[in-house]
Amino acid sequence: MDIIVCLKQVPNTAKVKMNQDGTLLRAGVPSILNPCDHFALAKALEIKKKTGAKVKVLSMGPSQAAEVLRLALALGADEAYLLCDKAFAGSDTWATAYALSRAVKKIAPFNLILCGQMAIDGDTAQTGPEIAGQLNIPQITFCTDIELKQKDTLLATKLIEGGHQILEVSLPVLITLTTPHNFALPYPNFKAIFEAQQKPLFTWTPNDIEADVSKLGISGSPTRVVKIYPPAPKQKGQVLTLSAEETAAKIVKILQEHKVVK
Amino acid sequence: MQKIDALSRKLMAESLRHYAKENLPFDTLRQYDGENYFPPQKVKEIYKDLGINLLLIPQEYGGLASSTSDIYRVCQELGRIDLGIATAIFATFLGSDPINVGGTEEQKKYWFTKMARENLLVAYGATEADAGSDLVALKTRAEQIIKDGKITHYKINGSKMWISNGEIADLYTILALTPGGPSWFLVPKDTPGFTQLKHEDKHGIRLANTAGLCFENVIVPAENLIGLKEGQGFLQAQAVFGYTRLMVGALALGAGQEAIENAIVYANNRVQAASPLSHKQGYMHKLIVPHYIKFEAARAFIDKTAKILDINNHGQATEGAIAKYYASRAANSAADDAIEAFGGFGYTKDFPVEKIKRDVKITCIYEGTSEIMEMTIYRGRWQEHLKTRGNFYLDMAREMENIKETDLGAKALALGLKALSEVLEECRLNRLTRHQYITFELGRLIANAEVAFALVKQAKSGQVVEGCPFNINIIKTMARVNAKNVSLDIALAGAKLVNSALEIPSEKDFYITEITKESVGLVKDMDALSIVLRDMFRN
Repeated sequence: MDIIVCLKQVPNTAKVKMNQDGTLLRAGVPSILNPCDHFALAKALEIKKKTGAKVKVLSMGPSQAAEVLRLALALGADEAYLLCDKAFAGSDTWATAYALSRAVKKIAPFNLILCGQMAIDGDTAQTGPEIAGQLNIPQITFCTDIELKQKDTLLATKLIEGGHQILEVSLPVLITLTTPHNFALPYPNFKAIFEAQQKPLFTWTPNDIEADVSKLGISGSPTRVVKIYPPAPKQKGQVLTLSAEETAAKIVKILQEHKVVK
Repeated sequence: MQKIDALSRKLMAESLRHYAKENLPFDTLRQYDGENYFPPQKVKEIYKDLGINLLLIPQEYGGLASSTSDIYRVCQELGRIDLGIATAIFATFLGSDPINVGGTEEQKKYWFTKMARENLLVAYGATEADAGSDLVALKTRAEQIIKDGKITHYKINGSKMWISNGEIADLYTILALTPGGPSWFLVPKDTPGFTQLKHEDKHGIRLANTAGLCFENVIVPAENLIGLKEGQGFLQAQAVFGYTRLMVGALALGAGQEAIENAIVYANNRVQAASPLSHKQGYMHKLIVPHYIKFEAARAFIDKTAKILDINNHGQATEGAIAKYYASRAANSAADDAIEAFGGFGYTKDFPVEKIKRDVKITCIYEGTSEIMEMTIYRGRWQEHLKTRGNFYLDMAREMENIKETDLGAKALALGLKALSEVLEECRLNRLTRHQYITFELGRLIANAEVAFALVKQAKSGQVVEGCPFNINIIKTMARVNAKNVSLDIALAGAKLVNSALEIPSEKDFYITEITKESVGLVKDMDALSIVLRDMFRN
């Protein structure tokens, strides 16, 4: 069994502030492994523990992104791959998914690809599904749990409105995972951190993954960001503290005034 | 042998931080602080879960053989969590140091393997009632027991006090006088005749167990004499002073930073007279900004010294003293101002700053008080001043003058270093160092000058040191402010110091006029730093 987990290094948005122009104020903001990806990695390592699966981790980013790969190796991943080159810079989700899918083909074989549901810096939730699309394999998104049923079947618990849906799927498949609120993300001990220094971490350029550079970076990205702005703050709501009947009558009156009801 | 790299150090600090967040939140720490107790099992859990105790154990015996740089990063992070727990862990490091420095291969193999496998808590037993900073007054004795003309055992009698992990350690390294002189012995907890006294009721670091030890005819085998040679004890203790004091500096740095960061977060949220406290210039320039500048100066100095110790292993006694002295004083005044910054809230036990203030005082006391540090620093550098005929600080001043960049405070610091050299020279010519008070004050001026020098050099390098939360431009501003402040202090305090012990005023002016002019722009720089800090901890 071979599992590939896609990871992204992101600014810790719990500590991020915005500039007036809507861009991120990054000074002094530490970078972390995207929490959903961290959870996906934890699930992959659970499967490894049970089945002896090989876990390979993949990321695209500046050389600094090797930090999250090293963290993954310390947590138990076997091999790490970093796509790092100027040609990748500025890629949107489509170009990123193209690059990652090329890398997946190069890393193959694989039975399972795990991605975080979305990155906390962009919040698009597009890259995972786009990788599946470009690899032409099935996908299940928004999962909170996965369990290997047999050698080539997997049960995925998908978060849906009002509950969960359990889906059975045959491998290979791409799953995107979202962290359940009570899940404590694992961190490695000192010895594992030290030993991870010896594990293989490869840096790849577009050449290594035989990628078409015209499909990478800003020029290869169909998305154009026109403007980023914070949504206008909501007006303070009106609170009614009358009796139930009076409140109901008042609400109906307000709705009529706004022509919501006749 | 493979070394721990910078990225691993960062990951270790992160793992430690997350561990503390999950397992040691403030409310838990506060409860233990109130109870004056922290279960020894919890310290062992930290060892077991994180493997932090493996740092000082050589790789061949199951450890990680970390360098000084590795340990200082971890100590700094521990200082942020709780100085009591940090002390318990540090005591294990300290306790195993004599084995590292003086142990035979066989001793290392046996004891380090045991420590790594069994997560042993270790205690370092040097201090006695009459032998604190003056270890020569040591009274605990180890008599030889001879059988068939061979020393087979030692019989230890005496007592120790203020021993960290005193009540709870599994293994003790004890300094005792043998016929051949002071020597270290390994004494397991359950050795007959060895008793541990009650845990002290301390002002701070209440999560650290501190107790006295009693030895009544305690018999240990001769192979428990570290290095199997009598009389090596002081050498073994002194060899690591530079290192251990550097670590206390790192612990203090962590605690101080934690106090001030708590204060900034509070200041961002506390609105008075229509704006947050963090927007008030007087508040920030008095209570917050100066401390963070000192932390970065301390970090630059500790990092520089750690890198030297990574290569040389031992020595750096003066630098270790400077690091401990400077960082512990900076952290204490920061913790004090953090309470002030919190106003009434800071005076309650509901906020961490009150506890940090009590805890951090110990960093000015253990491993040598601040006054012992002033003496050590003065002695070390006075020799250099004499040896170089007054050129020690003039050479450093020239190095500053050669820096082309005008935004690092190098020019101001060059003047300050020249002033320092002049102060030392006036003290020499007028034999002023016969006054102990003057030597202490010289120790202070020297420490400030050398730390400022390290920060300017770091700013000049264009690279921030590991663990520094700022970019290089902010470090440049900090280096500039610090250099100006330190130089002015050297000139003014130095002039006062020299003249205060003379009958007729000195003819030297200690560059006061020139240095005073260098103060131009200080407020503007402080304003800029104030905004950086405010934004960094905005939530």
